[in-house]
Amino acid sequence: MTTPTHLSPSEIEAFGRELDAIRDRHLADLGERDREHIDRIISLAMTSEAAGRLLLHFGIDPISFVLGTGALTLSKILENMEIGHNVMHGQYDWTRDPKLDSHSYEWDAVSPSAGWRHSHNFEHHTFTNVLGKDRDIGYELLRVSADQPWNPGYLAQPLRALWLALAFQWGVALHDLKLEELRTGESTREEVLERAKPFLCKAAWQVAKDYALYPALSGLNAPRVLLGNLLANIGRNVWAFAVIFCGHFPEGAEIFHEAELEGERRAEWYLRQLLGSANIEGGHWLHVLTGHLSHQIEHHLFPAVPAWRYPEMAREVRALCERYDLPYNTGSLGTQLKSVAGKIFRHALPTKPRAALTRQAPPALAA
Amino acid sequence: MRVPGENPSPTHTSLRSAAHRLRLDRQASHWLQKIDPLLTLGEVRARVVGILPETSEVTSFVLRPNGHWRGHRAGQHTLLEVEIDGVRHQRPFTIASPPHGDTLVLTVKRIDGGKVTNHLHDGLRVGDVVGLSEARGDFVLPDQRPERPLFVTAGSGITPALAMLGELANAGELKGATLVHHARSRTDIIARDRLVRWADAGLELHLFTDDQPGPRGFDADRFAATVPDFDQRETWLCGPPPVMQSARALWALRDALPRLHTERFVAAPAPSAGRSVQVTLRRSGRTLTLDGRGSLLEQLERAGERPAYGCRMGICHTCRCPKVAGTTRDRETGAISTEPRPIRLCVSDARSDIELDL
Ligand SMILES: Cc1cc2nc3c(=O)[nH]c(=O)nc-3n(C[C@H](O)[C@H](O)[C@H](O)COP(=O)(O)OP(=O)(O)OC[C@H]3O[C@@H](n4cnc5c(N)ncnc54)[C@H](O)[C@@H]3O)c2cc1C
Ligand code: FES
Repeated sequence: MTTPTHLSPSEIEAFGRELDAIRDRHLADLGERDREHIDRIISLAMTSEAAGRLLLHFGIDPISFVLGTGALTLSKILENMEIGHNVMHGQYDWTRDPKLDSHSYEWDAVSPSAGWRHSHNFEHHTFTNVLGKDRDIGYELLRVSADQPWNPGYLAQPLRALWLALAFQWGVALHDLKLEELRTGESTREEVLERAKPFLCKAAWQVAKDYALYPALSGLNAPRVLLGNLLANIGRNVWAFAVIFCGHFPEGAEIFHEAELEGERRAEWYLRQLLGSANIEGGHWLHVLTGHLSHQIEHHLFPAVPAWRYPEMAREVRALCERYDLPYNTGSLGTQLKSVAGKIFRHALPTKPRAALTRQAPPALAA
Repeated sequence: MRVPGENPSPTHTSLRSAAHRLRLDRQASHWLQKIDPLLTLGEVRARVVGILPETSEVTSFVLRPNGHWRGHRAGQHTLLEVEIDGVRHQRPFTIASPPHGDTLVLTVKRIDGGKVTNHLHDGLRVGDVVGLSEARGDFVLPDQRPERPLFVTAGSGITPALAMLGELANAGELKGATLVHHARSRTDIIARDRLVRWADAGLELHLFTDDQPGPRGFDADRFAATVPDFDQRETWLCGPPPVMQSARALWALRDALPRLHTERFVAAPAPSAGRSVQVTLRRSGRTLTLDGRGSLLEQLERAGERPAYGCRMGICHTCRCPKVAGTTRDRETGAISTEPRPIRLCVSDARSDIELDL
C-alpha cells in the first residue's frame, strides 16, 4: 500500500489490535437490542410492502399510485439493504433464527443469494479494491481508476453508468455470472449456461411475481400495478447503485494491485479496507436506507457485526484514525456522488495510471 | 392428527415452494405471527398453559402445541427452543406425559450454571410461547407391549418412565410393571403422588432414597434382591451417568444387555482447551485425531482433508459447515457452542470430540 508509509510495521500491528478490540467489544455485547432493531426493520419493510401493494391494487387515483409506489420502493430498499445484505453477511447468524440465517436467506432481487454471497462476501470483501481480484471495481463495466486499462468502449461509460443504475439488480446478477470469461476463454458456453441456471430460475420467479402475479391479482388495475412494481424496482436499483458506488469509488478511495497483497497480514488487510472505502454522512434514516453502507469503512472493517452498530463504531474508528494520522474518507451524499460522477466522466478518457506499483513492503512485513 | 413420520403430499410441497419463491411465505408468516405467535406455516410452537413445581429443583411445564404437532410416543423427547437475550437455544427434554389429550408435559431439572434450564425456571410464565421439534427418539414401549416391563430410573431420569407408565395406566395395564426409582431424598421424588396412585392400581413400586439407611444411588446387590428376575425382563433404564454405568455392568454380568433399553440425558461435554480431539466426518465416514493447534480448518487440512474455504478469516462464510455434535469455540467471540449448528471452520476450534457434516 502506498499511503501510510509514515507508520512503522509495529504501529500498523498496534492499529490492527485496536480495531480487533473494538470488534470484540461489540461482538461480546450482541443481544436483545440487535434483535429488536432487525425485527423493527423487518416489520417496517413488511408493513410498507403491504401498504404499497394495497394502495396500488385498490387505488384508482394518482396520489395513491405515487404513495403506493413509494411504499413499495421503501420496502424493497429496506429488504435488500438493511435486511438482505446484512443478514447474508452473517450479521445475525448468532441469533440462530432460521429467518435470519445467512445461508438460507433469499433476497428480493434477481440474483440468487448463493452466488452473490460468493462474489460479494468472498471476492469483494477479501480482495476489496484489488485490481484483477475484486470484480466489483466498476463492476467490470466502468473505468473508475486510471489503473484500469483504457479502451475506446469506455468513451460511452457515462451512458453505461446510467444503464447500470437503472437496471442495477440485473447488472449485479449478470456480473456474478462472469460473462467476460467467455471472451477470455476461461469458461466455455456450457459452463456459463450451467452457471446461469440458478439465476434464470430465480429471475423468472421474480419477474413472475412483480410483473405477472401481482398485476393479475389486481384485475383491471393490472397496468397500474405493473407500472408501480416496475418503478419500485427501478427506484431501488438507482438507490442501491448510488450507495454502492459512493462506497468505494469517490476521490481518495484507493485501488490496489495484486502485488500489494503478497504476504498481507491481518492489520494490513484492515488498512486496505480503510483506505479503499468511503462513508456517507447523514442522519439515522439515511443510514438505515443505505443498509448502513453509508458506513462502508466500518462495514469493511467489521463485516460480521450487525450494521446498525456502525455509527457507534465509527466514532471509535475515526478517533483511532486521527491518532494514527490515517485518512478517513467521508462526505455528504451529494459530495460523494459528485466525486464518483466526476471519476466516471474523467476516466472515460484515457487517463494516466499511477506511477510504478512496486512499492517495497517494509522488511518486517514481507512474509 | 397426522401419523408421526407421515410426509406432506407432493402438491402441498410444491405449493409451499412456489409460495416461497414468490416471497409470499415470509409475508404470511410475518402477519400470522402478529396475530398470534402460535400461528406458523409449519414450525411447531406451544403455549405454556401450566407451571407445576415438582420438587425444589424440578418444575413441570404443561404445553399446548399448535396444529403442526404430530404427536409422540411415550418415552420420546423433543427439542425445546427458547429465546434468551436475542439468541435461540434448543435443548432436549423428554415428554413426561403419555400421548393423550391436547397438552404435553416437560419436567425440567434446574442445572447448576445451565443456561436454558435456569431460564425456564426463572423466566418462563404461563401464556409464553416456546418452540418444539417433532418428537424423536426410540426409547419407547414397543407396539407389542412386553408382559412385565421393568423401569429403572434415578433423579430426573424418571421422566420417560412417567410417560410410559402413564400410558400403561390409561390402558389399565399397570399390573406386571415394576418401577425401581432412586432419588436423593423423599422430597426429591418427582411425581410422588402419582407413583403412589399407580402403585394402588397395580404397579410394583420401589423407591430408594439416599437419606434412608442403606446404600446410596444404584446398588447392584440391593437391586438384584429387589427384582430377582430382572435379567428376564425388558428393561428401560434412565438416570445420571454413574447409575447408568453400574446398572449396565450388572446387566452385562448377567448377559442380559439385549433386553436393556437405555436413554442418556447427556449433558454437553465440558469444554477443554488445546488438547487433541477426535473429529468424526459424517459424510466421508472418517475419524481423525486433531492436534488442537490453530483453527479447525487448519487442523483438518493438516490431517489431509480439503474443506472449502475462501477468506480464512471469518468474513466470507465459505467454510461454513454443520456441526452435528460436540462443543466448539468461536475464536472471534470466545463463544462456546454445545448445540448442533453450523460453524465457520476457519474461526472455530474444537473443545471436545466433535462430529462434522463433511
Ligand atoms: C434425550 C434427552 C432427554 C432429556 N430429558 C430431560 C428431562 O426430561 N428432564 C430434564 O430435566 N433434563 C432432560 N435432559 C437433560 C437436559 O437436556 C439438560 O439438562 C439440558 O440440556 C441442560 O441445559 P442448560 O442450558 O440448562 O445447560 P447448559 O448451559 O447446556 O449446560 C450444561 C452443563 O454444561 C456446563 N457448561 C456449559 N457451558 C459451559 C462452559 N462454557 N464452561 C463450563 N461448563 C459449561 C454447565 O455448567 C452444565 O453443567 C435430557 C437430555 C437428553 C439428551
Ligand atoms: S473461509 Fe471465509 S469464513 Fe471461513
